[in-house]
Order: sequence, then structure tokens, then C-alpha cells
Amino acid sequence: MRRFSWFNATSLTLGFTFLYLPMILLVIYSFNASKLVTVWAGFSTRWYGELFADQEFLDAAWVTIRVAVFSSTIATVLGTMAATVMVRAGRFAGRTLFSGMIYAPLVMPEVITGLSLLLLFIGIGLDRGIFTIVLAHTTFSMCYVSVVVSSRLATFDRALEEAALDLGCSHFQAFRLVTLPIIAPAVISGWLLAFTLSLDDLVIASFTTGPSATTLPIKIFSAVRLGVSPQINALSTLMIAIVTVGVITASLISKRAAVAQARDEQAAARATA
Amino acid sequence: MSQTVFAPWENPEEEPLIRFRNVTKRFGDFTAIDDLTLDIYTREFFALLGPSGCGKTTMMRMLAGFEAPSDGTILLSGQDIAPIPPNRRAVNMMFQSYALFPHLSVWENIAFGLKRESQDREAIAARVEEMLRLTRLTKFAKRKPHQISGGQRQRVALARSLAKAPKLLLLDEPLGALDKKLREQTQFELMDIQEKTGTTFVIVTHDQEEAMTVASRVAVMDEGKLIQVATPDVIYEAPSSVYVADFIGDVNIVEGRGTREGERIRLDWAEGQPPIWGTPRGALSTDRAVYFAIRPEKVSISKEKPADRRNMLEGEVVDIAYLGNISTYHVQLANGQMMKAQTANTRRLANRDITWEDRVWLSFTETAGILLEH
Amino acid sequence: MRRLFLIAVPYIWLLALFLVPFAIVLKIALSDIALAIPPYTPTLDLSEGWAGIRAFLSGLDFENFVFLTTDDLYWRAYLSSLKIAAVATVITLLIGYPIAYAMARAAPEWRPTLLMLVILPFWTSFLIRVYSWMGILSSEGVLNQFLMALGLIDTPLQILSTNTAVYIGIVYTYLPFMILPIYATLEKMDDSLLEAAEDLGCSRLEAFWLVTIPLSKGGIIAGCFLVFIPTIGEFVIPSLLGGSDTLMIGKVLWEEFFSNRDWPVASAVAIILLMILIVPIVLFQRNEQKAREAEG
Repeated sequence: MRRFSWFNATSLTLGFTFLYLPMILLVIYSFNASKLVTVWAGFSTRWYGELFADQEFLDAAWVTIRVAVFSSTIATVLGTMAATVMVRAGRFAGRTLFSGMIYAPLVMPEVITGLSLLLLFIGIGLDRGIFTIVLAHTTFSMCYVSVVVSSRLATFDRALEEAALDLGCSHFQAFRLVTLPIIAPAVISGWLLAFTLSLDDLVIASFTTGPSATTLPIKIFSAVRLGVSPQINALSTLMIAIVTVGVITASLISKRAAVAQARDEQAAARATA
Repeated sequence: MSQTVFAPWENPEEEPLIRFRNVTKRFGDFTAIDDLTLDIYTREFFALLGPSGCGKTTMMRMLAGFEAPSDGTILLSGQDIAPIPPNRRAVNMMFQSYALFPHLSVWENIAFGLKRESQDREAIAARVEEMLRLTRLTKFAKRKPHQISGGQRQRVALARSLAKAPKLLLLDEPLGALDKKLREQTQFELMDIQEKTGTTFVIVTHDQEEAMTVASRVAVMDEGKLIQVATPDVIYEAPSSVYVADFIGDVNIVEGRGTREGERIRLDWAEGQPPIWGTPRGALSTDRAVYFAIRPEKVSISKEKPADRRNMLEGEVVDIAYLGNISTYHVQLANGQMMKAQTANTRRLANRDITWEDRVWLSFTETAGILLEH
Repeated sequence: MRRLFLIAVPYIWLLALFLVPFAIVLKIALSDIALAIPPYTPTLDLSEGWAGIRAFLSGLDFENFVFLTTDDLYWRAYLSSLKIAAVATVITLLIGYPIAYAMARAAPEWRPTLLMLVILPFWTSFLIRVYSWMGILSSEGVLNQFLMALGLIDTPLQILSTNTAVYIGIVYTYLPFMILPIYATLEKMDDSLLEAAEDLGCSRLEAFWLVTIPLSKGGIIAGCFLVFIPTIGEFVIPSLLGGSDTLMIGKVLWEEFFSNRDWPVASAVAIILLMILIVPIVLFQRNEQKAREAEG
């Protein structure tokens, strides 16, 4: 065991302070009674009340959730298909182009993705709104899903599928009964990733939306351009809280599963045949 | 006591279960199976033996339906199986990695194939119970694969592939993942289960001892071709080539020029050394380079010159490998040729008289070794 | 049939919603500005056959790209983006490396928790994380209040709406991208290597410099690209934290499009931005490839 020096302790303390202090301050100030966000005037939940009374925010939240649910679900289906193609389909005409189109959106600046999709929607005369945002979000998040799922598929023992075929499954049954349940954790994290990407996205949504649909990030952006606002602090706090609870729950569940598995394997090692 | 020996391959009336007819399999430029013809009979325990890359796994995958032959046909019960997909074949496979479904319990794994073809829950449950009993897994039915030991997993894989009562069971290195002790014990279990169920087994292995122990016949393969197909004792006692002799067990090989003298062959192999007398295997064309092969345990070693052996060679002990039950002596002859002789250690170590640098005599009978062309 | 379906569905989707839009950007970048909506003239009319295609092709020119060279706003914006991205990457590395190093040195039972603390911000809204700095850096913000309470300054510092704020924002939001790949390489490193180096006469600092740093090179390079590439096209950070004099190409593109409504120029800006990004992207891919091959 190597010494854990004061230097390391300091870097960790300063590093995590830097990462978390801004968000902690945001949370604290969301409970500030004063309208002046920088002056502390006592504890209050007033801004949460105002937030929930503001129909525009509620509408934007509802639009955002619908967009995120639809786009992440379609993206998960398409991304899983694309991952299967990447890992399994072997060679086919246009494979290089296909893998290029999977990886390019990951490094493409959002402004370009947004601009190009907007020009397409205008070009084919599609009315912009929730539908076009869903199309746009699906396109870039399916690439993330496909990266997550294909890294899982790459380590998947193909013999399992062959065993299913050997025991009488059709290809589709083998996928549904064997492959999918086993890669499910990767598919679920792909979906969660797609969902958060959609929730977060400002730039692409701004390009591809029309007057009928305003998402929460668009709403937040136009509000904060004018400066810090206590309502946005309250909204941010809620979003941070949801994500924190979600991530911690997910990691606890997976940790418990890992511990249970380790215990089972130890028990198996002790059990004599 | 007139028990007929199981040898359907010697009966010309017997219809083979599987016929490979001039089967070739190419992957790109690589030829994995090269114009191979082979018959396998019902109730056989047939072993495909060879080094990795010899094509034995490809043969098995063609039987299971995961690969199609590039040329030639494979018949199962007289029917060409090329157009039948793996999920419709009356053939099941036990995978090298076992390929147990990690998300399903032992019970569900065994029931998996049954559920695909039948809706009758009671019939499925009865068959699963039967399989669990056969493989002594009843206690573990509810466990997941990662909750049981390696040996138990191996038995689940066997039970799962036998559950559908296939005509033919393919076993891909079935014991490769087990340690030596467990492997030996499991070999006998496999033979027992094969006999009880009457299923035809085709096993792929690179372990020659395993093939010799379990199989009714062994096919030795190399580079996509069959080198020899025979019963284990024939493979060991009468290998058809130097390759087989060398692949199976330990062997001394002496190269020389053979001359037929009546029943026997005289091998002249080195200046100043007496010729070696041996028995030819089949027709042996003489007056050309031939190989004399003899197993170390058929070579006797003694300090005094034996009285009445046809073959006697003198040399010096350079090394002794003590293996507990047996010892192998490495003896160097006058011309530099190394020979190995093996003796059973029936006496205590201290009582044995041969040691390093001793002058010794190696001797063997005319029928102990055989002569091969290559 | 099954395989064809599997390939075709995602393939067609990506062709229609990634490649075609991209072709449109390229086409518009080569078009003339017109004041109608959509504000570009040449439209490909295939019903006219060859004549239509010829008319379409003759309508294309590099005028918009020539325009970009005449107005030095664009050059300065490109250069400024590159500079900001490069400087911010170096700062992120200097801050991120010690954190990753300390995480890798921490007791094994602590590592999953520390890792989760680094990953958690990933899942939190990017916009909110950038926004959180507005309240800290503004002239009556927390930082200035704190510094004035300590008596270090008398008048508030102007940090928000400067390039300093942009650097802080970039380092803050992209820090996890730097920490994770470096941590991944350091965590795999065998402790006995350092002991061996010390045994052979290195001081701890020399051992760090001669063993740890070279072995974490892959992670450092990956981390730098992961920060550098997205930073160049960044829009949210310069527009919320930067001032009117903060020039970044993502922001210029946005303004060209939404404020000036000059679509051809916006498209030309996008094309050049992409061409600038190709070099680091290709280098990054090559580095990843090498890392994969090294692993086996």
C-alpha cells in the first residue's frame, strides 16, 4: 500500500470543491428569500412556488419530457440495431460510410448538426415543432446508444446465441430470449444516456424547433441571458436533485447486484460437486 | 459369454448415421476441410482428435449447421442436411464455453430447448426432472449458472443439450475447462450417460488421452484431412503414419532403409549398428526410406546383455525421468541416436540398479515395433 | 432478408438525417444570398433533367468562402477559438491530472465513490453547470463578495463577460472528460513499477516523471482531445460567460444564422469549422486505435 500523501488529499479536496461548490451555491441560493440573488435574506421556498405557478415553464417541461421519452426510445431501438450491424453484420457494401455516420455525430459540433438539420427540414417543407426535435435528437443520440451497446456486444459470447439456435430458436427468438436479456443493462444505460442528452440539449433544439415548441433548455437559456434569476436557481436545484437521486440509486442497485454475484460465486466455489 | 463387440463400421450392411462425402470447407483462401469422406454410425462415441486449427471444430460446426460445406454433401440418416437451419436439426451441441444462459436458472436452461417445440408444461417438467436426475443436478435446479461450480456447469450443459433427445450430440472440448482430476472422473460419467441414453456422440478434443478413453473410434486429423480413423487400440498399436504415432503418446522413431525378408523387414539405419527387425503395417514398398516406430514401454532395458532377443542395441543412460509409477530412461546409442525406454517401478527406488552414465542394453521383439512409410 | 432489414433501417435513417442535411449545408455554402426565405437561390430542380443540374452547378461558387476571407471577423474568430480551446485544454490538464492521480492512489474501496463523484456532473445539465458560474462570477456575485469581505479588493472585479470567465467555464464543464481517461490509465498501472524505479535509484519525483507520466501518456492525449475538440465549436459557454469581445466560432455561426439570417455564410462558416476539426479528430481516432491495439 503506497502512502496517500497530503498532496493527493489536497488535490482531491480542491478538485471536488471546484466541481461541486458552484452547484451547491446554486442550491443554497434557490432557497434565498430575496429577489436579489446575491444577497442572502433568509430561507424561503417562494421561488419554487413561483416556478410551479409559471405556465410557460410547466409547458416547456412537458415538451422536453415528451421529446426526451420519444427520442431516447426510438434512438435505443435504432442504436441497438446499428450496434448489432457494427459488431455482427461482417462486411457489406457501404460499411465504412455506415460506421463513419455512427461516429461522426459524436464529434460534430452541435451548431453544425443543428444547422444542417434545420436546412433539411426547411428544404423538405416540414413544419418545425416537437416532431422535428424528436427526429434531430434521435439522430445524434442513436449514435451514443450504438457506441454503448456495441461495446457490450463486442464482449458477448456468440456461443450463447448459437446455443439458442441449436436448441430450436429462430434468429428473432434467440435475440429476444437470450441476447436482449443479457445486454439489457447496456441497452438501459444507452436509453438513459439518450434521455439525458435530449433533456440537456439547447443548441440542436434551438435550431430545429419552431414557434410551437419550446423546450426547457431553450426557456432557461433565454431567461438566463438576461442574468441570474431565482426561479432558474429553483429549477436547476430540482433538476440536480433528480439526477443525483437517479444516479445514486442506479449505482447502488448495480453495486448490490455485483456484491450478490460475488457472494454467489464464492458459495459456488465452496460447494463440492 | 458371447457378447457381440460393438463394431458397426465392420458390418457392410449397417447404414451410417452421418456420411461426409467429399466435403470441402474454405474460408476465403484458407481450406479448413479438404475433400473429406467419413462415416459415423448410430450409437458410436466418435472422437475428432487433432491440434488446434486442424479443422475438427469446423466439422462439428457443419454438423450443427453453423457452417455450410463449400463442396460435397453431409448426410444425416440418408438426408442431405445442407438446407436445414440449425434450429431444425435433430442435432444438439454442447459448447466448449458451455454457453449457459446466465440470466436463466439451471432448470430454465435445461427446459429452454423443450419449450421451443412443445407447449405441454407437464411433459417439459417431467423431461427436465429426468435430465436433472441423470446428471445429478436436482439439488441445484433453482440456481443460476454463476452460482454453481465448474463441474456442475459442465453437467448442466450436457443435460441441456440432451434434453431434446437428439439423434446426434456434438461435444466441443467438453472437458477442457475442468481440472485434471475432475476431467478423468467426468470422462467415465460421459461414457455412462452415452450408454444409458443410446445417443450418438461426436466429441472434438485435442487431448489424446481423453479421446482414447471415451471413444469407440478416433479420427486423427491434420490440416483439414483425416490421417487415420480407427479404434483407440489400433491407433495406438498400429498407427498408419509417423504423424499419428508421434501425436498419440510417446514414441521412438528410427529412419532407415527397409528390406523385406520373409514376414519381417530388416532396417539398416546406421553404420556400425546392427539392423533392426520389425513388422510392416500393410504393404510396404521396400528399398526406400522407411521409419521404425516403437513405444518406450515396449523397449526393455538391462545392464547385462539379454540372451535371446532379435533386436539389441547398446548405449549409455543420459537422463532418467522419474514419474512415480514409471521411469523413462533416455539412452544415447553409439551413433548419437536417442532412444527412450520405460519400465514400471515395481521395486523401491533404492533397489533399482540402473543409474546415470551406465552402459545398458536395449532390447525388443520383432513384433514390438512397426515400420511406416511416413 | 433479416440482415438486410437490420442494416437498412439505421442506414437509411442516418443517410436521411445526417448525410443529406450535411450535403445541403455544403450546397448552401456554395449558393448566393437572396433576401427571401429560405435565403438562398439555387434549388436543384431534377424535373428539368440535365439542364437543371447544369443550371444548379453553374449557380454554385465560392463567393461565400471568398467573403469569409475578406472580413477578418471570421479569421479572428477561428484563431480565437483555436487559442481558447488550446489554452483551456492545457489548464484542464494541469488541474485534472493531479485529481486523476490522487484518485488512482486512493484506497481501492474509495475509488468507486470518487469515480461516481466525477461522473455525476456528466448527467447534470450542461446548461445549468455553466449557469451556476454566472451567479459566482458576476460583479455582485459570491466570488467578489468573498474577496471583498476578506479585504483583498475594494471594488468588484469584472470577471463575468470576459475571456477569463470563458476559461473557467470550459475548465469546469470539461474537467471530467480530462480526469476519466487519465484515471483509467493510472488505475491500471502497477505500483511495483514505481517501487522498482525507486529501488533503481530514482527519487519519487524522478520516478513520477520517468515512469508515471510516460505510462499515462495515452490517457493524457485522449483527455486533451476530448476537451479540445468540442471546445472549438462551443456555443453556450462563450454566450453566457463571455463578453461581446469574446470571439468563438460557434457563437459567430449562431449569430450569423439567427441574427443576420445569412444562411450561406453561416453554412460556409460551418464547413470551414468542420475542416479545422478534421485534423484533431483523425489524430484522436488514431490514438484510440493505437490504445486498442496495445490492449490486445
